[in-house]
Amino acid sequence: MKKYRCTVCEYVYDPAQGDPESGVEPGTAFESLPDDWLCPVCGADKSAFEPVEQN
Amino acid sequence: MAPKELKPGIYSVGASDPDRELFDELIPLPDGTSYNAYLIEGSARVALIDTVYPPKQQELIHTLGQLGIKNIDYVIANHAEQDHSGALPEVLKAYPQATVVTNPRCKGMLMDVMPIPDNRFTTVGDRETLSLGDRTLEFIYAPWVHWPETMFTYLREDKILFACDFLGSHLATDDLFVKNESKVYQAAKRYYAEIMMPFRAAIRRNLEKIKDLDIEIVAASHGPAYDRPKFILEAYRDWVSDDVKNEVVIPYVSMYGSTYKMAQHLMDALIKKGITVKPFNLIQTDIGELAMALVDAATIVIASPTVLAGPHPAAIYATYLVNALRPKTRFASIIGSYGWGGKMTDQIKGILNNLKVEIIEPVGVKGYPQEEDLISLDRLAEQIWIKHREIRIVGA
Repeated sequence: MKKYRCTVCEYVYDPAQGDPESGVEPGTAFESLPDDWLCPVCGADKSAFEPVEQN
Repeated sequence: MAPKELKPGIYSVGASDPDRELFDELIPLPDGTSYNAYLIEGSARVALIDTVYPPKQQELIHTLGQLGIKNIDYVIANHAEQDHSGALPEVLKAYPQATVVTNPRCKGMLMDVMPIPDNRFTTVGDRETLSLGDRTLEFIYAPWVHWPETMFTYLREDKILFACDFLGSHLATDDLFVKNESKVYQAAKRYYAEIMMPFRAAIRRNLEKIKDLDIEIVAASHGPAYDRPKFILEAYRDWVSDDVKNEVVIPYVSMYGSTYKMAQHLMDALIKKGITVKPFNLIQTDIGELAMALVDAATIVIASPTVLAGPHPAAIYATYLVNALRPKTRFASIIGSYGWGGKMTDQIKGILNNLKVEIIEPVGVKGYPQEEDLISLDRLAEQIWIKHREIRIVGA
């Protein structure tokens, strides 16, 4: 599963970690996050995220 | 400040701060502000909703004393920011039986910034209730208005929503309820523009979350309470909508008048096309006014000269703020004069990376604008008008 980076604050969403503080279980793909999920660091919406290119 | 009764047994006990001129050492406060805290007496227990800014904490303690409050059972912390939570340690000292009631995230943030021991807290879940006897508090998680831990408290029997910063306004006033809606509208819009605007998506979600609540009064933590809540809820719905107005915001700075001449020419051309223009001289402007103009404008054009091989620092500061505030602006452009070179327009464009805007071809001019430069500006005005027509905010 791909990681996604917030273009506003550079926070990286890692599916392996999820976002437990917002009730998102580890193992949740970015695509499966609810549409109203917000960046836990800056509050930007999902559209501000870009996939992180894997090396 | 003397306590003011919202309803029998419910008092506004916070502090007014008419002398404060800057918030966060950033935001001008032309009308000062207030830090509202509310005391609720139930038949069995007493709750305090939020506290005040630490320099005003003795005022809060004094007001509670004036009311003859001997015991407080719960202090509800809707938000960890210190202008509302900062007096918690003092309140807990004055009322040793009191427990801080908040959500787990807010608890963690409070413990990060002030010395409150773990055993003084109790945490609540979303939609959890707490009985005061004949009155019931319901806690509603409302993340990102404007921090991740923000929460509302709803007093069910009295239909009062304690919304903390959400829906508030920076106004130092003795009015318990809104008296002059147009004045409060302006102050609330300024407040929205300065701190809430980046979180439009979260606001929409939270407005949706409370839409079925029966709300008679909205008591926010800054400014007067709303006894006609429809007024502020509708204003917020308008501000967070995707609708933009046929307006162009033009923040400008000019050293020897060339960039000003360009801005002026562009403004005239836009006005002739029936577009509303909102210019801001960045050397004098109150950034709150600029932020407010960005709540609805379809387009922003930043006008800067080139100095020290780049944009004027005042233009960089304003652009940085615009980018951080993430307005719903749809189009942007940049204009300015330079002496011999530089990458002013690219640098400004680079700072606007958070905005989902379409950049309209910038106009850079060497020296004082000549006839052909003015024609380029006319073309820019024409482009803006076409874009506005495409999104149907001007007639065809």
